[in-house]
Amino acid sequence: MTGTAAVLGALSVLALAAGPGLAGLVQTAKARLQGRRGADPLQPYRDLRRLWRRSVVDPEGTGAAYRTAPAVIAAVTAAAVLMVPLGADAPRWPFLGADALLVVGLLATARMAGAVSAWDTSAAFGMMGAARDLAYAVSGEALLLGTLLVAALPAGTTDLRGLWAAAAQAETWRTPAHWAGLLAVALVVLVETGRQPIDNPDTHLELTMIHEGPLLEYAGRDLAMLTWVAGARHWIVMGLAAGVFLPHPSGAAAGAVVTVAWLPVLAAATALAESSQAKMRLGRAPRLLASGAVLTLLGAVAWAFGAGL
Amino acid sequence: MAELVLAGVALIVIGALLPLRRPLLAAGLVVQATGIAAVGVGGAGIAIGGETAGAAFSPAISPAFGADRLTGTMLALIAGVALPAALACIAYLRHVARPGAVASLFGCFVLALAGVVTARDASALLACWELMTLLPAVASLVADASPPVRRAMFEYLAITHIGGAGVWAAILVLAERGAIGGPPLGPGGATAGFAAAAAIVGFGTKAGLGPLHAWLPRAHPVAPGPLSAVMSGAMVAVALYGLVRVLFQWMLAPAWAGPALMTVGAVTAVTGIVYAAMQPELKLLLAHSTIENMGVAAAALGASLWLHGEGAGSPAALAFGAAMLHLLTHAAAKGGLFIAAGAVQGAAGTLDLGRLGGLSGRMPLTAGVVGVAGVSLAALPPTAGFVSEWAVLQGAFGAARIDDPVAGVVAGGTVLLLAVAAGLAALTVAKMLGLVLLGPPRTAAAAAAVEAPGPMRAAGALALAALAGLVLAAGWILPGLASMVPGGIGDDGPDLLDVPATGGLAPAWTLAVLAAAAFLLTRVRGRSAARAPIWLCGQPELARAPYTGAGFTKSFRIAVDGLLRSERDVEVERRGGLVHRVTSTGRVPDLVDRFMYDPARRLALAAAAHARRLQSGSLRAYIAWLGAMVVVCLALLRAGWLS
Repeated sequence: MTGTAAVLGALSVLALAAGPGLAGLVQTAKARLQGRRGADPLQPYRDLRRLWRRSVVDPEGTGAAYRTAPAVIAAVTAAAVLMVPLGADAPRWPFLGADALLVVGLLATARMAGAVSAWDTSAAFGMMGAARDLAYAVSGEALLLGTLLVAALPAGTTDLRGLWAAAAQAETWRTPAHWAGLLAVALVVLVETGRQPIDNPDTHLELTMIHEGPLLEYAGRDLAMLTWVAGARHWIVMGLAAGVFLPHPSGAAAGAVVTVAWLPVLAAATALAESSQAKMRLGRAPRLLASGAVLTLLGAVAWAFGAGL
Repeated sequence: MAELVLAGVALIVIGALLPLRRPLLAAGLVVQATGIAAVGVGGAGIAIGGETAGAAFSPAISPAFGADRLTGTMLALIAGVALPAALACIAYLRHVARPGAVASLFGCFVLALAGVVTARDASALLACWELMTLLPAVASLVADASPPVRRAMFEYLAITHIGGAGVWAAILVLAERGAIGGPPLGPGGATAGFAAAAAIVGFGTKAGLGPLHAWLPRAHPVAPGPLSAVMSGAMVAVALYGLVRVLFQWMLAPAWAGPALMTVGAVTAVTGIVYAAMQPELKLLLAHSTIENMGVAAAALGASLWLHGEGAGSPAALAFGAAMLHLLTHAAAKGGLFIAAGAVQGAAGTLDLGRLGGLSGRMPLTAGVVGVAGVSLAALPPTAGFVSEWAVLQGAFGAARIDDPVAGVVAGGTVLLLAVAAGLAALTVAKMLGLVLLGPPRTAAAAAAVEAPGPMRAAGALALAALAGLVLAAGWILPGLASMVPGGIGDDGPDLLDVPATGGLAPAWTLAVLAAAAFLLTRVRGRSAARAPIWLCGQPELARAPYTGAGFTKSFRIAVDGLLRSERDVEVERRGGLVHRVTSTGRVPDLVDRFMYDPARRLALAAAAHARRLQSGSLRAYIAWLGAMVVVCLALLRAGWLS
C-alpha cells in the first residue's frame, strides 16, 4: 500500500465517525432556513452517547431476526462507508474491493435486514415503514443503477476509484450523460438519506414515516446503532455524489480535499431542498424516482450517440 | 469421470425400477440418490478437468451421447437439484397416490434431463427433449388426477408443444445443414434468421420466457414438491442450455438475436417478479420467481451474444459466465425452496401465505433453507445470488458500451429493468420470509407445526450445503464458467475477468468479515436486555390486526396500479338495516392471460365452431368435399403449380 492509499484509507476509517455530524449539519441548516435556532451539528453525537448508556429491549415473541438486525445493518453500512471513493489511489480494501455495485448491494442488504426485523416484531408501524421502504427501493434501485451506469460508461469500469478519476477529467463533463447523472444523483441523495419530499426524518406520524418506522421497536444500543446508520448513509450517498459526479481535481491531495469539501455543500443543499417543498404523496414518489431513472437512460442513449467502445 | 457418470446412470435406472415393488420405495430412492450424486460428481469432474468424453456432436441422425465441459456443468447442476429432491421424495411421497410409480417416474425424469444435455445428435436430443416435457406431466397426473391438476397439465403440454415446435424446427434445420458438429450455420440468409427465431421461441417457451411463460406458474405448483424442485431448478436451465448450443455453437447468430434476447429476458424478469410479489401462495410465488430468474439469465445470454457479434470477446465471455452462474445459483436456491415448501406443506397442511407464520422457531432447519435460499434469490451480498447478479449487470454494462445507439436503449433499459427486478425480488423475499417464518403463527395448524421427517431434513441440509458451496466457490467458478463460452474467450479474457469484485470480492471472505463484524456488534449490544411487550406506539390493540401479504405489497401496488389493474370486491351483508358482515376480496389478474391467452382461446374456439360446420354427418356432403378436392388438385397439376 502506497503512502497516498494509506492516508486515504485512514480518512475512510475516520469517515465512520463523521456520518452523524453530516446528518447534524443538515438538521442545523434546516432549522436556520426555517427560522429556528435548532441544535448544533454535534447533537447526533450527544444522542448517540445517551442511547449508548441505556439498555436494549427484547420484545416478547421476537427472535434472532430482531436481535441481529441492528448489528447486521451497522456492519454492512460500515463496509459501504469504507468503500466511498476519496481518490483514484484509495485502497482496494481486502475482502471488500471497491466496486460500485457492491455498495448498492450492501445498502439493499441493510434494507432487507430492517424489513425482516419488522416482520419479526410484526408491529404495524414498523411493517408500514418497511413495506414503503422496499416499495420505494424498486424504482430507487433503478435510479441508483442508472446513475452508476452513466458514470460507468465514460469510465469503462464500475470500480469506484475509476469512477472518481473519470469525474476529474474535463472530457467527462462534455458528455450529456454526466449531466443527466448529476441530476439523477440529486434524487438519489434525497431518497437514500430519507429526506423530503420522499421521507421525513423529523416526524413519527404513521402517514408519512418510512425509515423511522422499524426503529420504533428498538431502544438503547440497538437504537444507537440504527441512528448511527442513518447518519452514515448521509456520508455514503453524499460521498458517492461528490466523488463520482461533482467536479474535483485529479491530484490525490487536492482531489480528496475537494471531495470532502463538497459534503457540507451537499448537506446545505439537502436542507434547502427539504425546506422548500412539501412531502410527496406515497403513490407519487416512486414515479418521481422512476422519471429520474428514465433520465439516466436518456443519458446512456446520448452517450451511445456520442462516443464509442 | 465419464465412467462415474455412466455408473450413476446405471444406478438411477436400477433405482427407478426398484420402487415399482412397494416395500422397495425408500431403497429405490436411495439408490437413485446415489446414482444422481455419481452423475453430479462425474459431471463436475468433466467440467473442471476439461476432457471430453463419449461421442462428439454429429450431424448424422443416429443416437449418440457424450459430454464436454458445458455438459459437465449442466450435469452437476441437475444433480445439485435432483439429489436433495430424491431424498425429499422418500418423505414426501407418503402423501401421494401411487408413490412407487411417481418415484419411478422421478428417476426417468432425471435421466431425460441428463439425456438432453449429453445428447450429441439431433435424434437423441429431440427424443430426450420430448421425454423431459412429458414425464413431469405424467408424474404429476399419477400423483394427483384431480380436475385442477388435469387442467394445469393440459395447459402445460399445450403451450410447451405449440412453442416447443420451434425446438424441432431449429434443430432439424441445423441438422439438415450439417451445422450440429459441422461448421456453424452462417449469420446471413433467411434460414439462419428462421433457425434463430425458432430456437428463441422454442427453447424460450420451455425456459419460461415471456410471453409464452403462462404454463410455468400453472404446472410447477401442482407437481409433487420434489418434482417441482427439479422442474423449477433444473428443467428451465436445461432449456436455456439448448438455446446456448444453438445460438452460440451451431450457428453464427444474426445481429438482431442478441438485442432481442436481451429485451425479452429483461421484460420477462420484471413481469415475472411483479406477479411473484402479488402471489398469495408459496409455490405460486416461487414459480413466478423462476420466470424472473430465467429472464435475468436470458438477458445475460443476449448481452453475451451481442458482444460476441461485435467482436468484444472477453466481455462476451463474462456475460456468458454470468448467465451460467445465475443458472447454478438459482437452481440451488429454488431447488431448496421448493423442497422446503414441501416440508412446510407437510407440517402446516397448507401453503397459503396468510395461514403460516412463526415457523422459524418450530422448524429451524427448514427455516434456515428458506432464509438462506431467499436471501440468495434476492441477490444480496454476500450470497452467490449477488455474485451472479453482479456479473449479469457487468454484462449489461458491457453491452451498453457497444458503439450503437440501439445499445444505449436496449442495454441501458436492461440495466434499469434488472434493477427494478432486483428491487422487487427483495420485496418478494421479505414478504415470503415474513409470512412463512416470522411473526406470530396465523393459524392453529401453523402454531402446531413440527420439523419435517428425517429424509426431508437431510434434503434441506444438502440444499444448504449446495448454497454454501456456491458462496465459497462463486468467485472461483465464474472465470471457469466464462471460459466455457463456445467459440473461445478472446485474448484479453483473463485480464478482463479480474474486474474488481470477481477475484477480489471473494464472497466467502466478505461473508466472514461481515459475519464477524455483526457478531462483534451483537456483543456490543450488552447482555442486560429488558423483556417487554411489543411497544406498537402504545396501541396494543393493533396487534390483533397483523400485516397481510397484500398489505405489505400495497405500497408498491398503488404506485403502479394503472398498469396492474388490480381488482377489489367489497360485499356488504345487511340484516334488518344493520351491517352484519363485510367481505373484501382483492386480486391482481395476470394481464398476459387476459390480453393474450383469453382472446387467443376465444379465437380458437370460434374457429373450431366454424370448422365443425364441415362435419355435417352427411355422406353426400363428404363425397362432394372429396370430389371438389380432387378437381382442385387436378387443376393445380394442370396449371403446373404441383409437381
